[in-house]
Amino acid sequence: MKYEPKALIAEVTHRCPLHCVYCSNPLEMQRRSEELSTADWISIFQQAGEMGVLQLHLTGGEPLARTDIAELVKAGRAARLYINLITSGVGLDPGKLDALIDAGLDHIQLSFQDIEEGPANEFSGTRSHALKLRMAAMIRERRVGFTLNMVVHRSNLDRLEEMIAFAEQSGAQRVEIAHVQYYGWALKNREALLPTRAQVDRSIEIVEAARERLKGRLRIDFVLPDYYAKYPKPCMNGWGHQQMLIDPVGQVLPCHAAGVIPGLEFSSTREHPLRWIWEESPAINRFRDESWMPEPCKNCDRRTRDFGGCRCQAFLLTGDAAATDPVCTLAPSHKVIEDILGQVNGAKQNWVYRIDPI
Amino acid sequence: MTQVGQESVLRLAPGCRLSEAGAREDLLLIPEGALRMQGPARKIVELLNGERSVREIVEELQHRYGTEDAARIETETLALLTRLRERGVLESV
Repeated sequence: MKYEPKALIAEVTHRCPLHCVYCSNPLEMQRRSEELSTADWISIFQQAGEMGVLQLHLTGGEPLARTDIAELVKAGRAARLYINLITSGVGLDPGKLDALIDAGLDHIQLSFQDIEEGPANEFSGTRSHALKLRMAAMIRERRVGFTLNMVVHRSNLDRLEEMIAFAEQSGAQRVEIAHVQYYGWALKNREALLPTRAQVDRSIEIVEAARERLKGRLRIDFVLPDYYAKYPKPCMNGWGHQQMLIDPVGQVLPCHAAGVIPGLEFSSTREHPLRWIWEESPAINRFRDESWMPEPCKNCDRRTRDFGGCRCQAFLLTGDAAATDPVCTLAPSHKVIEDILGQVNGAKQNWVYRIDPI
Repeated sequence: MTQVGQESVLRLAPGCRLSEAGAREDLLLIPEGALRMQGPARKIVELLNGERSVREIVEELQHRYGTEDAARIETETLALLTRLRERGVLESV
């Protein structure tokens, strides 16, 4: 295989008790009645293991909303995958957590929206913060990998030091500080979420100092907002290069957002073997090599490092998925980004909350 | 303490484990991906049981691989364990 898949992101349901203003799920979500069965997922995990996939990220929506979640963990382990549960913590209790760990769960990634309860509940559209604190304490008492995920943006970045201090005493081995990426629901709320350049610069200083101070105790992964970057991010390390995402109904996508690109038909595990979809399906092959690249990408030295950036972002901001990612300062369309950044101000916008599927 | 010395007793941190025997390559699976275990690395990690000290592990490896390279075994084992400890893959007991 030319492209060896390393990770499978399984969106096992789009149902979620939270309504986060930057949710990475698509605006059009899959319904419960259409979701894959337990047996469907088990078959997918087996196929993935045979293809050499190493990591399974169980996500959603809220993956705990599936009553068969422990069975899915067990099946993933049986397929020799490393199992990561990406959760809000809502729906967890000591019995369920023990069952998941007994089933072979390797790692939990628990999300927090803020360090202060008021804003945290505002961003998630639910009263979930206090519950999350209890879940963190419950996870810490057990032997399972534990990462905190904190999404940062203009309205909470000024509390970044407090967030890191919380992570330090939470018992987590790792914290992921992720600036919001502007897709789906986050794009709808961009005006209120986009940080100022001064905030971004300050966040870099804070993270660098904390990394030095916490070396060997707490690992900090940091995702920068690409609107402020000089060059685009190597999105997913390349379209169809290492990772795939399977949505609740079995469609195989190269990433969370690719459903927005018009004209792409995603093949389903209900109709095709996973290996065929990965190797042969048109959507996974659409931007896989360099043949789609326009100028300046196709003669750019960076093309093997950033692959022309993100196809979804190119579509969302220029209307053309085969354009250079406009965040690139070399992109003909880069002015789009400059205009957006020029308008960043402190104005309060009304949040558009994520709506749960039926 | 992140320093690794002769008397350190280490074990894999939660969320880190070796790929199962029979997997297509020797890997240390960790939350953010996998580390390739080259040469004797897998053997070294396997010896970390949260009871043996680094000194005992080095002695075990010297016994197994011969004593002519004793100094090198010690240096390389300490270097590997220090790297893994700094990365958060190992914890002190």
